[in-house]
Amino acid sequence: MTRAWTRLGRAAVFALPLLFLGIFFYVPLGGLIVRGIGSPEGLTRVWELVSDPYIQRVARFTVVQALLSTLASVAIGLPLAYVLATYRFPGQRLVRSLTIVPFTLPPITVALGFVLVFGNAGIVNETLMAIFNLERPPLSILYSLTGIVMAHAFYNAPIVTRFTAAAWERLSPSYEETARALGASPRRAFFNITLPMLAPSVVSGATLAFIYSFLSFPIVLALGGARFSTLEVEIYRQAIVGINYGEAATLATLVLVIALAFTVGYLAIERRYARQVRLEAPRPKRLLFSGGWTALRRVGLYGFLALSVLLFVGPMLAVLVDSVSKPWQNTVAFSLEGYRDVFARGFSSLIGASPLQSVINSFSFAGVTMLVALVCGTIIAFLLAQRRLRGRRALETLAMAPLAISSVALGLALLRVFNRPPLDISGTWVAIVVAHVALAIPFVIRVLRPALERLEGNLTDAARSLGASPWRATRDVRLPLIQGSLLTGAAFAFAISIAETSATLMLAQPGLLTMPVAVYHLLAARQFGAASAMSVIMMAVLALAFMVIDRFGDRTFRRYL
Amino acid sequence: MTRRWTALALVLGLVGLVLGQPTVSSAQSEEPLTVYTYDSFVSFGAADVITSAFQEATGRDVRFVATADSRTMLSRLISERDSGGTPADAFVGVEVNDLGTARENDVFQRLSEKDVPNLQSVPDDIRFDPENRLIPYEHGFITLVYDSEQIDPADVPRTFDELLDERYRDSLIVEDPRTSSPGLSFLLWTIAQRGEDGYIEYWQQLMPNVLTITQGWSQAFGLFTDGEAPMMVSFSTDHTFDVIVNDSDHIRVRTLDDQAYRTIFGMGVVRGTDQPDLAREFLNVVLSSDVQSQLSETEWMIPASDNARVRNVWWQNVVVPDDPVLLPSERVTENLDDWVDRWVREALP
Repeated sequence: MTRAWTRLGRAAVFALPLLFLGIFFYVPLGGLIVRGIGSPEGLTRVWELVSDPYIQRVARFTVVQALLSTLASVAIGLPLAYVLATYRFPGQRLVRSLTIVPFTLPPITVALGFVLVFGNAGIVNETLMAIFNLERPPLSILYSLTGIVMAHAFYNAPIVTRFTAAAWERLSPSYEETARALGASPRRAFFNITLPMLAPSVVSGATLAFIYSFLSFPIVLALGGARFSTLEVEIYRQAIVGINYGEAATLATLVLVIALAFTVGYLAIERRYARQVRLEAPRPKRLLFSGGWTALRRVGLYGFLALSVLLFVGPMLAVLVDSVSKPWQNTVAFSLEGYRDVFARGFSSLIGASPLQSVINSFSFAGVTMLVALVCGTIIAFLLAQRRLRGRRALETLAMAPLAISSVALGLALLRVFNRPPLDISGTWVAIVVAHVALAIPFVIRVLRPALERLEGNLTDAARSLGASPWRATRDVRLPLIQGSLLTGAAFAFAISIAETSATLMLAQPGLLTMPVAVYHLLAARQFGAASAMSVIMMAVLALAFMVIDRFGDRTFRRYL
Repeated sequence: MTRRWTALALVLGLVGLVLGQPTVSSAQSEEPLTVYTYDSFVSFGAADVITSAFQEATGRDVRFVATADSRTMLSRLISERDSGGTPADAFVGVEVNDLGTARENDVFQRLSEKDVPNLQSVPDDIRFDPENRLIPYEHGFITLVYDSEQIDPADVPRTFDELLDERYRDSLIVEDPRTSSPGLSFLLWTIAQRGEDGYIEYWQQLMPNVLTITQGWSQAFGLFTDGEAPMMVSFSTDHTFDVIVNDSDHIRVRTLDDQAYRTIFGMGVVRGTDQPDLAREFLNVVLSSDVQSQLSETEWMIPASDNARVRNVWWQNVVVPDDPVLLPSERVTENLDDWVDRWVREALP
């Protein structure tokens, strides 16, 4: 009797995340696909779109910018991972916790920061003009492919860094030492030993960077302008502006198929290399600012670090400066008006809710998202870690599919399906959280699965053979051992929820707006000071959250492992 | 530790659930009037003014829904109606060039001066819809706006031809006609200038001088005020905004060939609303002299009503062209999609 109940309970637990994804992800997605290609007109539209020279041009550009963005992300992310994994420097842990911040910033804030730093009248150009006494800005970076690629690198290089640094730190130096002892040059040891062992992490980071750049839309819209349209921008225009839901759905389905192909490829790469991941003792680290280097190397490394600081910190700092200045009598004056506006009571009605409410909303949506995504993601990751489970691959593909959908398409699909009973949730906070959870689940799985796979077999079997119930084995053995990964997964889910703008913008009703949506509305309302102030508050709050999570995580990590 | 974790997670979740509940602001027994409009209508403050005036006149509440710009909100209204029904009772902010879209989709009720008595105060030259499904509440002119700190006023182009000069490389910010109404107005202006056969060539020659084509007006204005380009396509009321709000005088207006393109914004009662009388009353309130008087410094547009009281300093700094351009709405309705499509395919790359 008890056994049967336990089994039933277990089945219920396992069914929970699948049910969630089924109802809140696959039903809307199915609606979108059926509308897109599920009719003779739909199929005609497919042909029309594929043979349309304009769409072909847009598709080509989408792929090219995604490839270049991926290259840039790896070119910047890999050396940064090297620095993090090999050197010790003051504030290293802080830097580590903050690497996730760029990933969480809403595109609208990033675009603003980029204009202030890299624009024609930005800090870089103004400085160069002042130094070399030039009349015109020497570097035209924005409003071109370069600007888009740089912004995508700003977002995605930190992913590459985080994935790679984590693997690099676990990589035992003994392999390289052996190679060096056998006479290999440092270069050869790196290319023949270290890099191949890091490849899985780099490739999986790069693939994610590609998928994200491929589906990117607000950045392209903001920094590229109409001359640099991507497929995602076209979907948005067709659906939201053109009232052409059918065409948008067809295009969205085509994009989904492409992105899904990449996601499947990504999963294959991960699977192929999963067994190579080794958990080793922490790698000893050298001091970053120490002597004993050739001048060339030092210049190279410091130069790279300086450029990275300019790329990653510059835009955020510029937004901070912008938030305390305002135009006044033909010049710019120091002013805290932006912040006052954000907290002023009269301002509330302007954006549909008080800005303070948007902070609270963001955090509660992110809190619920984190909780639900963590529960669902962990259960799925646990299932995926069971080697004997049949249909593991299918399950994996199904659970990771949200990676391949853009938030525009997801928001659109949710709006169309849940605006009537039985689930009339569009326009409520549930719809927003549901979208965030679907987008966050793949990340939680990605983080937790390796941790759970390492545990299967020895430890849990031992616990079971000592008489522990499955639940007890999970509670007393598995959960404590995966706390670090749980924390990372939680941080990702939290970050994704806070940063998500496109779907939220579509689903948010007045009173439900989040921080990035508030920034969006403030900008639309010519309240530039208040928009910058709101962005700064958001960055500060996020940085704080990640520092707390990382510090807390670090402590529990050390205690249990 | 695990237990503490579970507890923490639970507490977080509960806090989230409680705080995540949507806040319902007004608990009135009667349904408030739901009005769709564009985001800046709410954030510039016009919606606030109207809400209090409407409450005073009717004792009822207004709920503004403004999650996007005007063309997007109109799309949303139509899309909602097509997929079952919309909560909107009234709509504020259909630009004159979208009259065709509104008419084709038959979203607004036909009205008369009897339904909206204050319509009498609106002069004929800006009444753009003979059927009065859309009633104008404000208007203005689209033209060139420049920053005198960045470009010598003597150097600013005065004609469409001069705008093509290579001195102005990367100097102009325009808006995408597909997503922005000032952007669309400017495109139509070039068609009025160069004809259906010549506008593409004009744009091809103009493109090197265009720094970027933004999605909407506010982004363009943001880039412009950040100093990214010395000129943009904008409203002829921008100078008075700079004078009154920033106490500056460097954002200035220039007409091209002594002309500017007319832009008129209208509002309407959504067909199928269950509160048609209240919605009509709402339109009347927006056209009342009190509300109209305040539109000049919330919307920074010219009020539609002759009864609006506008400060002298405001009028003194607004550029009003003698001979504003506006293509006949039948022609626009008939060709709009084609014109924009050709522009996307032939002028954009």
